[in-house]
Amino acid sequence: MNSNHDNILEVKDLQKFFPIRRGLLKKVVGHVRAVDDVSFEVRRGETLGLVGESGCGKTTAGRCLLRLIEPTGGEIAIRHDGKTTDILALSQKQLKAFRPFMQMIFQDPNSSLNPRMTVGDIVGEPLKVNGISGAAMEEKVAVLLESVGLKRQDIHRYPHAFSGGQRQRIGIARALALEPKLIIADEPVSALDVSVQAQILNLLSDLRAKFGFSCVFVAHDLSVVEHISDRVAVMYLGRIVEIGDSDILYRTPSHPYTEALLSAVPIADPKEQRQRKRIALAGEVPDASKPPSGCAFHPRCQYAKDICKQEIPRLKEATKGTRAACHFSEELTLRGI
Amino acid sequence: MTAPLLEVSNLTTVFHTDDGLIRAVQEVSFKVQHGRTLGLVGESGCGKSVTGLSLMQLVQGRGKVEGGNILFRQDDKSAPIDIAKLDPRGDEIRAIRGNHIAMVFQEPMTSLNPVYTVGNQIAEAVILHQKVDKKEAHERAVEMLAKVGIPNPKERSFEYPHQLSGGMRQRVMIAIALCCQPSLVIADEPTTALDVTIQAQVLDLMKKLQQELGMAILMITHDMGVIADMADEIVVMYAGRVVEQGTPDQIFYNPLHPYTKGLLSSIPVLGKRSKEKLNQIPGTVPHLLALPKGCPFRPRCSYRMPKCMELPELKQQEQSNGCNHCVRCWLYE
Repeated sequence: MNSNHDNILEVKDLQKFFPIRRGLLKKVVGHVRAVDDVSFEVRRGETLGLVGESGCGKTTAGRCLLRLIEPTGGEIAIRHDGKTTDILALSQKQLKAFRPFMQMIFQDPNSSLNPRMTVGDIVGEPLKVNGISGAAMEEKVAVLLESVGLKRQDIHRYPHAFSGGQRQRIGIARALALEPKLIIADEPVSALDVSVQAQILNLLSDLRAKFGFSCVFVAHDLSVVEHISDRVAVMYLGRIVEIGDSDILYRTPSHPYTEALLSAVPIADPKEQRQRKRIALAGEVPDASKPPSGCAFHPRCQYAKDICKQEIPRLKEATKGTRAACHFSEELTLRGI
Repeated sequence: MTAPLLEVSNLTTVFHTDDGLIRAVQEVSFKVQHGRTLGLVGESGCGKSVTGLSLMQLVQGRGKVEGGNILFRQDDKSAPIDIAKLDPRGDEIRAIRGNHIAMVFQEPMTSLNPVYTVGNQIAEAVILHQKVDKKEAHERAVEMLAKVGIPNPKERSFEYPHQLSGGMRQRVMIAIALCCQPSLVIADEPTTALDVTIQAQVLDLMKKLQQELGMAILMITHDMGVIADMADEIVVMYAGRVVEQGTPDQIFYNPLHPYTKGLLSSIPVLGKRSKEKLNQIPGTVPHLLALPKGCPFRPRCSYRMPKCMELPELKQQEQSNGCNHCVRCWLYE
């Protein structure tokens, strides 16, 4: 892993195993390896897209970064002001003090806002927790609401009075209240209609320019991720299979799964779509409690050879500029978009 | 050209709610040709799903198909049946439902019955519409499961929905829909709940089966990519009305209605990344209880003019390959 001062976040070998318990005594009979040896870094000011299909561990990985889920193992290092903080070594108290540094935007704006709290209380809560209250808090909340495209007067209204897109704006205002340096956005636009989705994506890029935060953008929609991300990490069955600059990764992928994933997305351009050839992936994503031996993707991979069944490929530099976890990333010529 | 399989004209479906009358679908007209795919596209609340349900008289509770015609032609010889005039609980519509017109729903988990095996659920549809005994019906079910690409169809037919994955369940839904060889399948967001690679499998399956069995498909979706992939003709809906209609090339390369233009430029298209911002349509979809006067898109439209206080007609603009490009906007009068 290349560690340098330009990284705000460095994740190394992150693991999260969920125990499977059976029987009367709730004996642990196995583990779901939701996130397994995931390593990546986020550079200062960039947006890293974390994509994959359901069950690939992208959300779990995102939550582990904030310790909303306690990881099983690994390292999460935050670099800021010349200091390096290991998130996993922090006590609960220290972690709380560190929270203003990183915040989360959730997928579902309906269930992530308390219906009994006014918008002012919701957005003001992180400020209150961190010792800002009274008129100062109210003023700050009003400014925040304006910066996400809502009105000052909205401060006294309740979440139900807003549309889905506006609720997501409230969630974003809450996340920005403490001016975090790192934001984890978990599917922030997938619950929204397409015309509203564009509004929120534009808002996020405006705010990024204004506040200068770095962002981990977790999503399943490859087009949205391409639009918003500087770099992209593709996950499959708990592991990162490919990571790199989004332009390179989308044009010249180095992992067969990335290739298949890209070919599966229908493009909103009929002439182009008619000419494309889909790579038909046989079968479905395997059970994460019983991952296939070797490369987890080998049973569905059209290029798989014997070695793929035996050895787990490591993430390594591929010639085309991304890092890919494939034994044959050097030899294969894969099709991008 | 032969007469269309389905001819919908001025379809209006309303819901009587405590808060007032909701006109979910207003004066919607379109045709579905034999063996072709019509895409019905729009955002949530635009009435696309209610349109689909209306075609089978499945609007329940306080909803009702209030006006218009739904002419369904089983074949060229027989006289068309007006589904809009049929009793939603009558025998006539029951003979059509699931037999001549079938439906594939979005959520395969909630639309399959959890306490019956999938084989049973397919056989049920067969027994209902065809003169076969249980054994034959089950054989038919296994045959259908094989057709939709389920491995080990015989064993799988004895499994329950929870034993299958999301993609497999959607295949079962398609098997149920196709078991009586309908001439029209209404697919309401059939792949929205699925992952992209599974979506690709299901879309390919639907195309393959359409070639084999020759049924027409009414594809209801919000995903412009899926529409571009599947549709032979596209109907764009907004706030219960058709705002534009045409071939994929017309809609995607020469959109006329400001809403269609806005919609297309607001979606990030894979491989067409630009550093520029996405175009955004200001505001949100209007609530159906508080529709603006005149053109429903007026409050969000950047081309609005005084005339827009009146509702424009859906007017034909040009014709190509027997397909009209129609738009409902004063800009093109």
